[in-house]
Amino acid sequence: MKRSELLSRIFIMVAVLGAVGAPLFVWARTSLIHAKIAEDGGWNPDVIQANAGEPLHLKLTSDDVVHGFAVGQMDMQSVDVLPGKVSNVTLTFDRPGIYTFFCTRWCGLNHWRMRGTIEVGGSPSDPQSVSVPLYISLNLDIDAPHDSPVVPESKPSAIRGYELAANSPILQSLNYYRANSPYQVFDELSSTSLTESQRWDEVAHLWQSNTTRESLTNGQQLYAQNCAACHGENGAGNGVFADDLAAAGELSMQTMAGTDNMTMQTPVDFTNPTRMLGASPALLQGKILRGGMGTGMPMWGSIFTEEQIWDLIAYLYSFQFNYHRGESQ
Amino acid sequence: MQSRFFLLLFVMAGLVVAFAPFPVHPITPQERAFRIEARQFAYSPSELKVNLGDTITLEFVSTDVVHGLYVDGYDISVESDPGQTKTLSFVADKPGSFRFRCNVTCGAMHPFMIGNLSVGQNEWFYRSIGLAIIATLGNIGYLMFSPRPTLITDY
Amino acid sequence: MELTRLPFLKSALKSRYPQLAVFIVMLVGYVFAILAGLIGTPVGSHNFSIVFVWIAWWAILILVAVPFFGRGWCAVCPIPLPGEWLQRGAVLNPPDKKPKWLNLRWPKALRNIWLQNISFLLLALFSSVLLTMPNITAIVLAAMLFAAIGLSTICERRSFCRYLCPVGGFIGLYSQTAPIELRIKDKQVCVTCEGKPCYNGSQAGYGCPWDVFPGGLTKNTYCGLCMECIRTCPHDNIAINLRAFSADLAKPSTRIDEAFKAFIMLGSAMIYAGVLLGPWGALKDAAYNVGTSAWFIYATIFLAIIFAILPGFFWLMISLTSRPSPIRRGVGVRAFASLATTLIPLGLMFWVAFSLSFVLTNASYIIASLSDPLGLGWNLFGTANAAWQPMLTSILAPAQMLALVGGLIWSARTAQKAANEVKVSSVPIVIYCFITTLAMLWLLL
Repeated sequence: MKRSELLSRIFIMVAVLGAVGAPLFVWARTSLIHAKIAEDGGWNPDVIQANAGEPLHLKLTSDDVVHGFAVGQMDMQSVDVLPGKVSNVTLTFDRPGIYTFFCTRWCGLNHWRMRGTIEVGGSPSDPQSVSVPLYISLNLDIDAPHDSPVVPESKPSAIRGYELAANSPILQSLNYYRANSPYQVFDELSSTSLTESQRWDEVAHLWQSNTTRESLTNGQQLYAQNCAACHGENGAGNGVFADDLAAAGELSMQTMAGTDNMTMQTPVDFTNPTRMLGASPALLQGKILRGGMGTGMPMWGSIFTEEQIWDLIAYLYSFQFNYHRGESQ
Repeated sequence: MQSRFFLLLFVMAGLVVAFAPFPVHPITPQERAFRIEARQFAYSPSELKVNLGDTITLEFVSTDVVHGLYVDGYDISVESDPGQTKTLSFVADKPGSFRFRCNVTCGAMHPFMIGNLSVGQNEWFYRSIGLAIIATLGNIGYLMFSPRPTLITDY
Repeated sequence: MELTRLPFLKSALKSRYPQLAVFIVMLVGYVFAILAGLIGTPVGSHNFSIVFVWIAWWAILILVAVPFFGRGWCAVCPIPLPGEWLQRGAVLNPPDKKPKWLNLRWPKALRNIWLQNISFLLLALFSSVLLTMPNITAIVLAAMLFAAIGLSTICERRSFCRYLCPVGGFIGLYSQTAPIELRIKDKQVCVTCEGKPCYNGSQAGYGCPWDVFPGGLTKNTYCGLCMECIRTCPHDNIAINLRAFSADLAKPSTRIDEAFKAFIMLGSAMIYAGVLLGPWGALKDAAYNVGTSAWFIYATIFLAIIFAILPGFFWLMISLTSRPSPIRRGVGVRAFASLATTLIPLGLMFWVAFSLSFVLTNASYIIASLSDPLGLGWNLFGTANAAWQPMLTSILAPAQMLALVGGLIWSARTAQKAANEVKVSSVPIVIYCFITTLAMLWLLL
């Protein structure tokens, strides 16, 4: 055949094969972590290997909607994982162990199920002591109902409680606060001569004295990012997914004998004094750590640090009490 | 000769319709607040109507994934994660009909997630109707007055 | 005005090299688009396949190629190439042997554009999925390529292009409005020409791949501007001319398949404007959720608008002002078809107006996609992080207004001529155009 024909054929073959082969080659060698909503599979891959002390470079992309990436209980800024774009993250782990990574931007009803693990190998360093959560050491049944038999007529005021405490002091230790529900403290004050409303005010004061402004701000932010979608922006249990959860509960066939109250249900209303005032911080910590066992409430144990959970709990009680502005101890 | 005159007449009418300033009924600007919820792939409500000059406050919240709201023509936007309401305030100082659309990729039909903001009179729409009417009348008029037989009655 | 008189243009068209260069670029782009759709990110706005097919290519096609160059896209389209090279056994060389494949004639019953009408409608009914999912676009592109290759081994010439391609169906129809044409210069020369190499091929080139006899071309509709006849004509009797817009519509076609194509295009532009650019979420859900009962209802309404409502309303309008007359009684379907050709300029402008909206809104994706076509995190030209930003939004409404009103005037003038041919009044057609233009204005503005 003529030379021009031969050259043309070669050129075409090279051009087309190159246009297919080169990108294919690069694609095959690119390891990306793909994020999809949980209903479509979540993270892929969802188990990552690493070594303690070595930097781990991750490339993340979303295949559908906006997601985010963070590793639980690590002090890191979450990284947005955007559809069609690639985000780069470098992590270094000091200690070996299993870390949980999770999605940080709401991506549907099952957003909280978007989790994976990073298995960090390496020689185990000195064993870290793990403290048992308070609700376990207190032997609390966090699934038992905890309605407060008495509720205040109006929102208790911490500043009035502060003023009252000048004459009727109240134990303010952190452990006392954590281990008792507001109702229990109210009940213990029945030995004093205070009126019911005054007793609630002192309870509010006790609560505020175990809360700092910083913890409230942190708690509010954590709440907005993690809880508001179900529990409502104003804590009333009417978040954007509340109806879907209730509907899922009705359709759910997960009822097992003895656990009918463990199907998906509408999220708790934190503005409801009956439920909230009967719950101690330790009980709330338990619920947050362990999750709702099929109710749709996620377990946060591997995600939040202990400090984050106490901050969140402090914020939850702020729906029940009028805290005053000024610094508290 | 006569047809040229009519052509000129229609062109003049067309220019007037296209360029004459719109009659504006002065309405006192108000403050308006709307709450818009976004889901894949629609807004609720998806059609808003305000008067020229109103100050609009949009409370925008997503109900399933992260969505945005971008207003064509005003070039302003807001983004919301589910359950986290964000506010967008602006003065509706440009009249017309503006689409607002999602500017955060939210799934397959994202480019078509669209709503409509109507500020005052939809001037371009009315001008277009005017021009279309003039064009139609002009054409029919030409047919009626031209010397060649073009109407069915002539057959 | 004959453009091929310009020596530069003439030699560029006669030589196979410039065209081959463009072909290679297009073929590489096409194959890359298939690859990108299959292995790249599933997010449409960041995948080369969606961005370059439905934004870049579509914009150039409907805003530039069709209005100004008629079937100009067909001149450079890569889809028929692999098949044609197989058929010919060569990329550049003209034939020196008999064709080696089956080379069957296309069946007579299918020598019309009905298959193209159907293929376009199939794409249109699934458009919400097709325009947004890269893998679906890739599959459709691959299917068209393999269909063309397959058909080339069975049938003669470019059968896919002429009888199956959904794009070819409408750009053929709309090419009648274009200001360029390929025609013979002198009819007498063709009469005395021996062998008609323009149709049958010769040492200099191949017979018309579009199964058109260039000597008899009076309209652009079926000429794919492949330039093969310019190479084969031994008498240099073929020219590309510049001419008035829509000159072809002065002699309207009386084919009913083409008439329905006009209604398909008119109707689908309006439906797309409503479903894709409107604020009605329920319509979008119905269009996207293929297979659900809502989608079946949507598809039924879509087809009803195109096959019943629009043509029915048109027929009603033209029969309203008619009075039974000896001339009219026998005219029927052919008159209807020839009058329907007046909707061609209107339909073209409907598509221009509709396309302007989503192209100007999303053209910025093209810039980002150039640097990261597969969504793998590349940054080939540094533009991968270019933000989405609608362009030229202030001129959109006036541009759409001009396009739609312009289309109305254009169709009205075309109606005069077409109506004259069949001796009816063009007034009802003008009113029909007016009403549909109002509807499109309302949907878009």
